[in-house]
Amino acid sequence: MKQGFRQSMAWLHTWTGLLVGWVLLLIFMGGTSAYYKQEISRWMRPELPIAPTDASTALASAERFLHHNAPDATSWNLTLPDARAQVVEMYWMNAPAPEGAPERPAYGSATVDPRSGQAVAARETTGGEFLYRLHFDLHYIPALWARYIVGFCAMFMLVAIITGIITHKKIFKDFFTFRPGKGQRSWLDFHNVSAVLALPYHAMITYTGIITLVFMYLPWGIGARYPDNEQRYYDEASNRIADTRPAAGVPAQMLPLTQLLAKAQTQWPGVAIDSVAVFNPGDANAGVMFSARADSISNVVPSLLFDGVDGKLLSRSEPPGAATRTFGTLYGLHMAHFADPALRLLFFVCGLLGCLMVASGAVLWATKERPKHLKAGRIGFGLRLVDSLNIGAVAGLPIAFAAYFWGNRLLPVGVSGRAELEASVFFWAWGAALVAAFVWPKRAMWAWQLYAGAALFAGIPLVNALTTGIHLGVTIPAGLWSLAGVDLVCLGLGVSLAVAARRVQRWRPPLTASQKRAQPGKGRAVATTVAEPAPRGEHA
Amino acid sequence: MTIWLAIALGFSGFTALWRTMAHPAHLPPGLAGLSVAARRWLHWTGWVLLAASFVLCAMLRGPAIGSVLWLGTLTLSAAILVLGLLPYRPRAILPLAWGAPLVTLLGWLLLA
Repeated sequence: MKQGFRQSMAWLHTWTGLLVGWVLLLIFMGGTSAYYKQEISRWMRPELPIAPTDASTALASAERFLHHNAPDATSWNLTLPDARAQVVEMYWMNAPAPEGAPERPAYGSATVDPRSGQAVAARETTGGEFLYRLHFDLHYIPALWARYIVGFCAMFMLVAIITGIITHKKIFKDFFTFRPGKGQRSWLDFHNVSAVLALPYHAMITYTGIITLVFMYLPWGIGARYPDNEQRYYDEASNRIADTRPAAGVPAQMLPLTQLLAKAQTQWPGVAIDSVAVFNPGDANAGVMFSARADSISNVVPSLLFDGVDGKLLSRSEPPGAATRTFGTLYGLHMAHFADPALRLLFFVCGLLGCLMVASGAVLWATKERPKHLKAGRIGFGLRLVDSLNIGAVAGLPIAFAAYFWGNRLLPVGVSGRAELEASVFFWAWGAALVAAFVWPKRAMWAWQLYAGAALFAGIPLVNALTTGIHLGVTIPAGLWSLAGVDLVCLGLGVSLAVAARRVQRWRPPLTASQKRAQPGKGRAVATTVAEPAPRGEHA
Repeated sequence: MTIWLAIALGFSGFTALWRTMAHPAHLPPGLAGLSVAARRWLHWTGWVLLAASFVLCAMLRGPAIGSVLWLGTLTLSAAILVLGLLPYRPRAILPLAWGAPLVTLLGWLLLA
């Protein structure tokens, strides 16, 4: 090795980070917003009732709906409402169509009002689910490819984190060092501090993110050990009890699910039930499985399986083994379903710091590179490309996210394919920002796009108030913090973007030594205006 | 309230550690450098405060979720200090480092 170890690591850090930085920013922003997936979904369906329902009523409503709409499905799966979600989410697997009959989809899904037992009478939207899927399925491309791309980026991120720690010479000494208003120095400080302060989070979220899809990335072991029955591996790995009884083919009257729920609750006093699965509904061999809500970090939860017809307890899950608990804990840490509102907010803050770390790293590269190009008299292709992508991602993505919320409120409610239209609003807005950034990758474009993002985000509470009845004037007095929180966070992001935009706009390049000598009287005044602006990444 | 107390203790702990590490030339105006003895004392105080915030988080949510909560509160309190107050409002640091734990402790005791 010609260079020293640390220089090699610095090289690796720079290029692994830069190459995937813009996709990583999309992934980080999507993931950060997905901490509030349920709240965003709720906000995006303003027509829904607000009052919570108890598990038993919700289950009875869901059962009514499924009996009516999916009587011949091979299985039903439903998630009961909780403090965060006031609806019953459900899906069912359809039996293959009989010979000669038209094809039917493999599965169906519905969102049901827990009190009326009807499909929710709300606008058609994917809500927070879109942002959650964007985080690892991207959009417009097959999910499998997307997950490989995301995994590739996550591996690069992991390399960037490790090489970054090695490269950072004074990780403890510079723990408290952030000096704004000093150009490249400030960008480096900010990149370091945003990385180090939330380092446990960054390392955890990147590593566990890869772990969530590890069976897809490394499938060969499963193929070797479970060649004929991959599903059995997943059931064993996640400690799921599966109802392996085949359908008897004889119709039978099932016990009401609420009666089985009561049995489950006597088995598990004080445990909240999260989801219910019904195998072979309406068949003599019907089975009903209840899964508990996670009360620890791990998302591997205990479950109970009952006979759906005579109500006998068929089996209960064994305590999970060490490997399953390890996997469940890593997976659970990534999903953060165990987090109460305060901890969820801390996860969100750490996610924002992650966005700022990625953004400031990309901007730092351009800041470091610029003096060479200025000396040569023209901005070269590489820097121009990075500048364009930086503007289009760091300032453009907030525009896209805010536009998605606007789309939810402004697209006509009855229009067909509405959910996909909302997604196209996201990508049209982002596309426009990217095109503008490529056409004119200058400082003014930074300011315009940051202002546009600021106006869109700050305008969300306003457009919400003008189009719905769940605006801040209603939600704050009623103490509906999960709804008010969406408005308030958007407002806060808008204000931060506006501050960043103003700082970019007011920034003046520092005078060179010869310029300072040329105007001796003004030297002091100029120095103070130069010291004022902070790096824009701080708020981006 | 326990979480607020944990954040406040984290903030004071980090402030103490910062005081032991900051170069006298980089201190905000109005703050003097420290003697060797004061430095050593503050060093221990800082770590004890951070440890106390861990104990609070573990009491609140158990050791497993408590450690996650603790790391989150540390990130937040360090971010308030390093990205917010140190560069932009240095004069507010010491009053906050003394006041925040006292106020939140009072609230915590009143609620408990």
